[in-house]
Amino acid sequence: MVSMLALLITVPMLTAVIAALCKGRFCRLLLLTGGLLHLGLTLYCSSIRIDGRWIGLTSYTESLLLILTSALYFAVSCYCCVWLKAEECSRKSLWVLGICLPLFLATMTLVILSRNFGVMWVAIEATTLFSAPLILFHRSGRALEAMWKYLLICSVGIALALLGTLFLAFAARCGGVELHDLRISEFLNIRDSLHPGWFKVAFVLALAGYGTKMGLAPFHTWLPDAHSEAPGAVSALLSAGLLNCSFLGIIRFAALAPEQTGDFCRGLLIILGIVSLATAAFFIIHQGDFKRMLAYSSIEHMGIAAMLFAVCGIEMTMIHLVAHSAIKMSLFLLAGNLLLACGTRQIARISGLFNTLPGNAILFLAGVILICGVPPSPLFFTELSLLVQAPLWLSLPTVLLLFVVFAGMMKNVLSMTMGKNCDLAINPAHAERMIWVPVAGLTAALAIGIVFGVNL
Amino acid sequence: MNMAVDLVLTAFLGICLMLSASSRLVHCVRLVAFQGILLGIMPLLMWNWSNAAPGMEIWGAAFVNIIVKGVLLPVLLLRAMRKAGVKRELEPLAGYSWSLLIVSVAGAMALWLSRSLNIPGVPVLAIPAAAVTVFTGLFIIISRRKALTQSLGFLAFENGIALFGAAMHLEYGFFVEMGILLDVLVLVFVMGIAVFQISREFEHIDADRLNLLTDNVEVK
Repeated sequence: MVSMLALLITVPMLTAVIAALCKGRFCRLLLLTGGLLHLGLTLYCSSIRIDGRWIGLTSYTESLLLILTSALYFAVSCYCCVWLKAEECSRKSLWVLGICLPLFLATMTLVILSRNFGVMWVAIEATTLFSAPLILFHRSGRALEAMWKYLLICSVGIALALLGTLFLAFAARCGGVELHDLRISEFLNIRDSLHPGWFKVAFVLALAGYGTKMGLAPFHTWLPDAHSEAPGAVSALLSAGLLNCSFLGIIRFAALAPEQTGDFCRGLLIILGIVSLATAAFFIIHQGDFKRMLAYSSIEHMGIAAMLFAVCGIEMTMIHLVAHSAIKMSLFLLAGNLLLACGTRQIARISGLFNTLPGNAILFLAGVILICGVPPSPLFFTELSLLVQAPLWLSLPTVLLLFVVFAGMMKNVLSMTMGKNCDLAINPAHAERMIWVPVAGLTAALAIGIVFGVNL
Repeated sequence: MNMAVDLVLTAFLGICLMLSASSRLVHCVRLVAFQGILLGIMPLLMWNWSNAAPGMEIWGAAFVNIIVKGVLLPVLLLRAMRKAGVKRELEPLAGYSWSLLIVSVAGAMALWLSRSLNIPGVPVLAIPAAAVTVFTGLFIIISRRKALTQSLGFLAFENGIALFGAAMHLEYGFFVEMGILLDVLVLVFVMGIAVFQISREFEHIDADRLNLLTDNVEVK
């Protein structure tokens, strides 16, 4: 059974090898077959429950994240098939895309499947390495700057998480348990004998480390740059797939918290969550670049997810993550279309999209309304349950900041969609052809929201 | 054996001081490589030889560590240096005498603070040496301009973390250790490519001048 799970990692790796040998030919075909195979295997494996030495699948949370990541990748690879036709790109860029995109999927899968804190660390660091070349797709100076910041900040951050992993082993030893490796299930068995003081040190380091990768403020500085400079398809995967995987690292550390440190961990998550929300609100309200606006919205939602995890527990957090991923993927893909069509990311230079690109504009507006948590968006229900269950000192600023985000995003999007028509860089029909994947993503999110709302 | 361990740990402290004060990049690369080699032999020195000889995994890990950190990484870094055409870190954001002072003060503080930490089986110097190495790495990342020096800082930082693990007998297991080394190797490879591209695109590799991306509202 473990070998079935190992296939989930080796299939994308094989696709990458074939893509490397093809030197940029059949790139779209390979992406699509790889995505389809991975999705099929994932659906087949998702009900397996096994705990191996290195990899395994032990909980509903992990299965859900695995299906989510695989489905996102498949959706993005479908989008790539149309997008790569419209975008002018060199053979070399295609070659890099064909290699790095499947490897990125393989490493994200390994993060979710890993049953060992060491393996998880290696996998999360590897996601950085394979996604960095993808940011450089357009080979501009700005993309280079974004890639350098991403590499350096995330590597330093994740190295802190490695230190955290060491301290976790040390906490076990100080608690009188001698462990031979860093298996997550062994740690879960001995969680009550972990030394509380050293566990706190380990948790703080892991939170800072994986929090950097997840985009929690104040460690978020790489995120707006990387998400705005990467092509739409890559931003979609980074924002909707990678951030969840990094959050899983924090969730796994938090699950080990001994009784007396529970409040400490929850407190830290809440503080980082509200700081992220505030930072995002502050930068969204006067944002001049629509892709950066979406990137800050990802920071906002990661902050909300951290608070949800601390206040409402894992189920609500998972619903929030799934809904955010589906909507944010659609939004980033649409943003890619808009960028391709308008040739600029400046909100001030774009107007009248309702007339020129009706399909993209309506979907973009709908996506922004959903991401802001207007019912029947599933995010409305998760945010509502956060507000209801959180104490007043937390829920009051949260609701205010959510309004600020809503106002800022709507102001920007409405000024883009209405008004006089602006000039387009390409034939609008090309951009209008690329809306079907976002349609699917937004429909899925709506369906989740309606089902969830009715059951509430 | 204790003597040897103390000697290596002292060497780590010395390397930190030298790293913070040297402007020639070749010199810095050699120092970080030397750190890597010392790190590779640490587990062998810490081994309790009177009981039994270390197993294949310990030897293997030490060997791969020395090859990767002592040979491959310096080769990659020197190649990136040659391609980007840089030899020295000229005007660091914190001058060399200041850097030396700051790292020395940090070292003194680490030694003073760690007096109260008495962990059985861990050499007295281990915690301060690792802490100072981590600190020096981070300090180099924030106080130097060149992208290449920043990657050297990252490697020193990572070496410091590995020293923590080695000195405190915390093991990840052989495969995870190999995975970490592979990650670091690929990271330095990608960073080398990035440095080369930055030097070609901007005609400099000063990371502090990489400031195109902002949240400013003005339309450029």
